[in-house]
Amino acid sequence: MISRKLKLFIKVYWVRFAILLAILLLLVLAIWGMMSLESFYRNITLAQLPMQILLVAFNAAIFVFLYMSVLGGRGFTKFSKKITVRGELVNIKWSDVIGMDSIKEESKEVVELIKDRVRVKNIGGKIMRGILMFGPPGCGKTYLAKAIATETGLPFVSMSGSEFVELFVGVGASRMRQLFKRARELAYGYGGCIVFIDELDAVGRNRVFSAYGGTEETNSTQNQLLAEMDGLQEMEDKSGEARPEQNIVVIGATNAPEERIDPALRRPGRFDRILYIDLPSLQDREKIFEYYLGKVKYDKSIDIGRLARKSVHKSPADIANVVKEAALIATRNRREEIKFVDFSEAIERIELGLKHKRILTPREKEMVAYHESGHLITTYLLHPTEDVFKASIVSRRHTLGVVWPQPREELYTQSKEKLLADVKVYLSGYAAEKLKFNTTADGVWGDFKQATTIAHAMVWMLGMSEAGFLGDYTAIPQSQLSDSIKEKLNNETDKIFKSCLKEVEELLKKERPLLDRFAKELIEREELDYDEIDAIFKEYGKMHTNAA
Amino acid sequence: MRRKFFLLLVTDYWLLVTFIGCGPSYPETRVKESIIKICKKEYGLDVKVATVGKTITIYLPLTQLIDFTFAITKEASEKINDVILTAARVTLSTDAKVDFYCIIAHDVRIPEIQIVIVKYVDDVKRFLLNDISRGEYSKRMLVDIRLSPQAQKERAIKDVFSKMKLDEKWEDQVMNEFFRAEPTGLGEMGYWEGRFYIKDVTLAEFLAEQTANRIKMEFKEDRFLSDNFLMKSAKGTYVSKEDERYFRFDVSAAPNGEAVEMSAQELQNKVNQAALRIAYQVLHGYRFEDFNYVLVVDITDDRATKVLKEDLKNFRSKNAKLDGAMEVEVY
Repeated sequence: MISRKLKLFIKVYWVRFAILLAILLLLVLAIWGMMSLESFYRNITLAQLPMQILLVAFNAAIFVFLYMSVLGGRGFTKFSKKITVRGELVNIKWSDVIGMDSIKEESKEVVELIKDRVRVKNIGGKIMRGILMFGPPGCGKTYLAKAIATETGLPFVSMSGSEFVELFVGVGASRMRQLFKRARELAYGYGGCIVFIDELDAVGRNRVFSAYGGTEETNSTQNQLLAEMDGLQEMEDKSGEARPEQNIVVIGATNAPEERIDPALRRPGRFDRILYIDLPSLQDREKIFEYYLGKVKYDKSIDIGRLARKSVHKSPADIANVVKEAALIATRNRREEIKFVDFSEAIERIELGLKHKRILTPREKEMVAYHESGHLITTYLLHPTEDVFKASIVSRRHTLGVVWPQPREELYTQSKEKLLADVKVYLSGYAAEKLKFNTTADGVWGDFKQATTIAHAMVWMLGMSEAGFLGDYTAIPQSQLSDSIKEKLNNETDKIFKSCLKEVEELLKKERPLLDRFAKELIEREELDYDEIDAIFKEYGKMHTNAA
Repeated sequence: MRRKFFLLLVTDYWLLVTFIGCGPSYPETRVKESIIKICKKEYGLDVKVATVGKTITIYLPLTQLIDFTFAITKEASEKINDVILTAARVTLSTDAKVDFYCIIAHDVRIPEIQIVIVKYVDDVKRFLLNDISRGEYSKRMLVDIRLSPQAQKERAIKDVFSKMKLDEKWEDQVMNEFFRAEPTGLGEMGYWEGRFYIKDVTLAEFLAEQTANRIKMEFKEDRFLSDNFLMKSAKGTYVSKEDERYFRFDVSAAPNGEAVEMSAQELQNKVNQAALRIAYQVLHGYRFEDFNYVLVVDITDDRATKVLKEDLKNFRSKNAKLDGAMEVEVY
C-alpha cells in the first residue's frame, strides 16, 4: 500500500517534483556562480536581485491576470486541484450530523458496504456504485456526504454540477473524464475514492433529444457521467479480483424533484441507492438548536423546545442562520448572552426581512391596519392549525403589512378544513377593508391569487367540491374536457370562494369591536406580538379555535 | 504545504543574500598579497606593491616600455592594462579603505623613463555601474610619461660627487638625508632603484591635476582654441592655507600668428573662459565643495582671473561671459 501511495504521489505530483529539482539545481548553481564572483560583482548582482524579483513578480501578475480573465484560472478542461480532500481531513463525523436519524442509519449501511466490498463480492453481491440524495436546500446533503467520506476514510473528490457547465462545447464531458481519472488514481493509491457531485441537476436533468439531430451540451456531460459509471461496472465485471481503481462511489445531491433527474441516472447500476433528506422534524430541530447553541453564549433559561416549535419548516442551515443572526442582534444590543427576544427578532428578520419605513397617508395606514386585522382575527378564530405569531403594518420587502402565521405542529397533509380556512384567511383582508371603508384596494391581489389557487385545486384536483366532482381534472388535456364540465368545475370553485367570503364577512361583522380594536392597536403600535394579540383576544373573551 | 515551500524559498534567498553577500574577496590584511598573486597567477607579471594612506601603488617593471619612436609598445600597453584591471578588481572587492590606485611602469633598460597612472576608485565604480561614459572615464584617469624626478635628482648628486671627487661612501647617506623624501606633488611620484617615492593622493590634488590635463586636451580638441592658440603648458594645484582653499591653474596659451582679429584682452578672456568651464565641469562632476575660489593665472604677465565658488556655475557653457570674474595680481 505504501509503495502504491508513493507511486501515486510521484505520478500525481511529478511536475512539482521536476520543478522542485530544477529550483534546487538552479539554487545550487546560483550559489556556486555567486561564490565564484568577486565581492564587488557579487554585491552588484545581489543589489539587482530585488528589482529582478519585482520585475518577475510584475510579469507574473500580468500573466496571472490575463490567464484568470481569459481562462477563468484554469485550462479549458482542467479543474482546480482543490477538489480533492483526504477523507480523514474532511473530519465530519456521524456525531456532527444532527437529526436525520433514519438517513444516518441508511448512510452507515452504505459506509459499511463501501468498506466491506470484498465481503459483498464474496457472497456474489453487486458493489454499490452511486448514492443519490434528494432534499430541500440546507438540509445537510453535502454534510452527510462529507460524513460518509470521513467514516470510510477515503479521499473525497467534490465538484459542483455547475462546474461542468461552460461556454465551450465538450468542456463538461472533458471535465467529467478528468474527474473520474483523478478518482481512479486516488482509488488506486488509497484503496477507494468518493466522488461527490453537488447540484447534480445541472448535469443530470432529463436529457433533451432534438428532432434535428442536435444535442445540448448537458446531454454530452451526462452521457459522459453515465459512461464513466458504466466503465466502473465493466472494470468490475472483467476482473475477477477486487481492483482498487474500481472502488469508486459516486454521491450525487440535488434540490430538484426526483422526476427532473434523468431516469438513466436513477436506474440500478448507476445511482443504486436513493436517499430522501427532508426538513428536520421537531425533535431534530431541537437537537440542531442544541448543537448550534453549544457554540454560543445564551440564556440557559430559554426553552429550546419553544425555539424548535417556532421554527417549523426550517432547514438546519436556516437554524444555523437564526443562531448566527441572534448572536449579532445580542451583540448589537450589548448583551452578554443571547436572550429569547434575540432569537425572536432573528427569526422575524429572516422570515419577514428587514423593516424599512414607507411614509403612508393616514387613510392608507388605516386601510392596511384593517386589512391585517381581518387576517389576524380570521386566523385566530377560524384556522384549525395555525397561530398568529405576529401582526405588523411596518413595510418589509414589497409588503405594507403582514400577519405572520405559525403552524402549531408539523403536518404533512392538508385537510379540507385547513384548506378552506386558508381561503378564508386570504379573503379576510378584502372583507375587512370592505366592511370598514365600503371599498377595497389593490393589496388584496396577492391574497386573491393564493385563495383562487387553493379553491381551484380543491375542486379541479382534490375532489373537495360540494357537487362531488372527483378526480384530477388537470391531468386531462384541456381540449378533451367539455365546456360544461369546465363551467361546472369553475362554478364549484366560485361557490367555495363565495361561501368562504360570506363566512368571513359574517365573522368580522360579528367581531367588529375586535376588528376596530386591533386596527387601532396596529395604527398606534405598528406591531403586535403573539402575547399581545392573545391578551387582547382574552380581554374580549375569545379563545383560539383549537383551544375552544 | 505551499506556505512551507514558499517560506523555504524565501529563507534560501535570504541565506543567499546574507552569507554570500557579506565578506570581501580581498580582506584588508591581504590586499598587497592579492595584487601580487593575481598579477603573477593570471598574467605572469612580477609586480611590487606599496600603500600609503588610502593610496595603493603598483610598480611594474617592463623590458620594452617604449619603442624607438618613444611610443608605448603594444605589449607594454597590454601588460599595463592587466595591472590596471587587477588593481581595479582588488580595490573594488576589499574592505580596505582605498581611494586611489597608482601604477608605475618602468622600462628596465631606460629606468629614468616611467609611466605613472593614477585612478580614483569611485570613478571605476561609477564607470562599471554605467554612471559615467567611457569617454568621461578615460578623461578622469591621470596618465603621465616622464623622466623620473628622483632619477634626475640622484644623477645630479652623483655628478656632483664625481666632479668634486668626494668619497662615494657618503653619497648614499647624503641622498637619504636630503634627497630621498616623500614627494610633495603628484608629479614627483615614481620608483627608483628599489624605492617607491609615493604619497597619499588627495582628491583635491587629483582634481587639480585632472583639470590641468583636461584644459590641455581642450586646447587640442576645440576647433576655435586649437586654431587660435598654441598651448604651451597648464599646471593645476590645490592650495590649502589656514583661511582659504583654492585651485590654481597656471595656463600658458599664446595666440598663434593666424589668430582671428581680436584684442589681446579678448583672446585672454577666451583662455580664461575655457579654463574656468573645464574647472567647473570637473569640480561639479565630483561634487567637490572644499574650496573658496578658482584662480586662472596667465603665467606670461602674472595676472590672474579669480572666480568665487558660487560664481563658477556661470561658466557652464562655452559662450559664458566672465560674470563674477575678478582680475587680480599674483606673485
